[in-house]
Amino acid sequence: MNKLLEILNEINPGIDYETETRLIDDALLDSFSILSLIPELEDAFDISITPADMIPVNFNSANAIWSMINRLKED
Amino acid sequence: MTYTSILYLFIFLPGVMLLYQLAPGRHRYKVLLAGSWLFFLSLSGKLIIYLLISTVSVHHIGLWLSSCKKDLDLTGVSAEEKKSLKAACAVKRRRILWLGLGIQLGMLVVLKYSGFFSDNVNHLLKAVSYPNLLPAMKFALPIGISFYTLQAVSYLADVYYEKIPADDHLGRLALYLTFFPILMEGPICRYSQTANALTEGKPLEYKNVTYGFQRILWGLFKKLIIADRLNLLVETVFGSYKQYGGIVVILGAILYTFQLYADFSGCIDMTIGTGEIFGITIPENFRQPFFSKSPSEFWRRWHITLGTWLKDYIFYPISLTAPVKKFGKNSRAKLGKHVGQVVASAPALFGVWICNGFWHGTGWHYLFFGIYYFVLILLENLTEPYVIKAAEGLKINRNNVLYRIFQSVKLLIIVFIGELFFRAETMTAGLSMFRSIFTDFDTKVLTNGTLLQLGLSYADYTAVFLGFLAVLTVGIIHERGISIRDKISGYKIPVRWTLYYGAILLVIVLGAYGDGYIPAKLIYAGF
Repeated sequence: MNKLLEILNEINPGIDYETETRLIDDALLDSFSILSLIPELEDAFDISITPADMIPVNFNSANAIWSMINRLKED
Repeated sequence: MTYTSILYLFIFLPGVMLLYQLAPGRHRYKVLLAGSWLFFLSLSGKLIIYLLISTVSVHHIGLWLSSCKKDLDLTGVSAEEKKSLKAACAVKRRRILWLGLGIQLGMLVVLKYSGFFSDNVNHLLKAVSYPNLLPAMKFALPIGISFYTLQAVSYLADVYYEKIPADDHLGRLALYLTFFPILMEGPICRYSQTANALTEGKPLEYKNVTYGFQRILWGLFKKLIIADRLNLLVETVFGSYKQYGGIVVILGAILYTFQLYADFSGCIDMTIGTGEIFGITIPENFRQPFFSKSPSEFWRRWHITLGTWLKDYIFYPISLTAPVKKFGKNSRAKLGKHVGQVVASAPALFGVWICNGFWHGTGWHYLFFGIYYFVLILLENLTEPYVIKAAEGLKINRNNVLYRIFQSVKLLIIVFIGELFFRAETMTAGLSMFRSIFTDFDTKVLTNGTLLQLGLSYADYTAVFLGFLAVLTVGIIHERGISIRDKISGYKIPVRWTLYYGAILLVIVLGAYGDGYIPAKLIYAGF
């Protein structure tokens, strides 16, 4: 999780990722940030993110992103 | 038979409602499906064969995609074998998906674009003194092919990505693709949004029926009072564009934009209203687009279902391909965070706008329309931090009313220019009209009676203006999050019915039909 927080802060600093739960709904992360985030996540956690995973619910909070990473790792 | 015809409104729709209500719940979807096919036959006749091929192939390929994964038996196999079996399954599923997409998009491309392709190849060969190599190809287009093909593609992609299970119910899938209110102009629905409700067979309810007819009436108001009346002027200006320039062309572009909005959003109101009658929620396609502050916001509020379709099935798939991801990483490393991020999105954004342009039609002006918005949206994102910095430096409050007015005017000019090229007969005509705004600008046309020779009388301009005011007022109320229909339903019966009768009377009295009016087709049905 720390690694994920580090990546998020690197891509878009100034957000309290540990408590924020509306990253997409409140446009705190825009599509450019998401597109930057994906290759970083894929490299860091050895996962493959598909268009099917590109839904707001997967990116609305650090916890949601973390759950998606773990699910994709199992696949 | 179209949504505004007497036959549809007074015979077809009430007939389907009656049969639907009389049928037992589990058979009601069959009434809707039979009605949808009848509606299709009335517009496209034997071309229904293409629709049936689409329906059957989508159904079959969806099940094939699903069974291929279900049949994968991983019990008692080693981790290594598991990995290789999964990889083989993934390859097989990808091939099946491409086959499905090939059938759906193949039919669309051949029927809609082969004429454009052969014309341009022949044109190119003519330039190097070769005779016509390809025969002129022109196929009749089945109604709604551009809409139901996108729905079919989204269904297959969603089954492939396991967002939804494959449907073994052929009738439900057929109805999802061809439900008669969405057939002509969409909106582009997702399977998860409408399919289950379509086969639920809910009985008709008083509230749904009254709300549905209110929405249909509002759609008729926009279509018959504003769009069809403006059609007279738009046809004159764009049809004989060489005769006009300057202010008349500006007026043509502005009024075409309002015609398109009133026509398309009016049709969507009728579609959503018809869905409501049967208890089916059809997604909204417009959210007061003219209140936007930027081109990207405009496109999040205008033809919403096409925008989200392009985002999910073009933008993300392109963005997530290995070469584009690599390009993105390099861009960010070389150009810095902000510029790199925007440049990284360019390939996918370009794909989106090329598809948007070509989806609308086969002229070069449609391609120009797509590229126009690609460039504008890219520039908007690229310059955003600098604009914010400049505003701060100049001490301009970006929430100030004057600044908001400036943003709205800028956006409207961008939209009007885009629609000028979109509506022009050809790219050359569009360029010629645009040029004439500057070369033939003469304020005399405002006073010498020219504006009354474009197909609209004083009475027509007045009717359009009043209609426009009504649409604007409703837009402002909706923008504030107030539901007008909930308010109306709270009024006492005499007030409520006075309002309904008043609206019906307005459509009958002010509607642009009968002598002197050319029956105007639904614009998006032609795409």
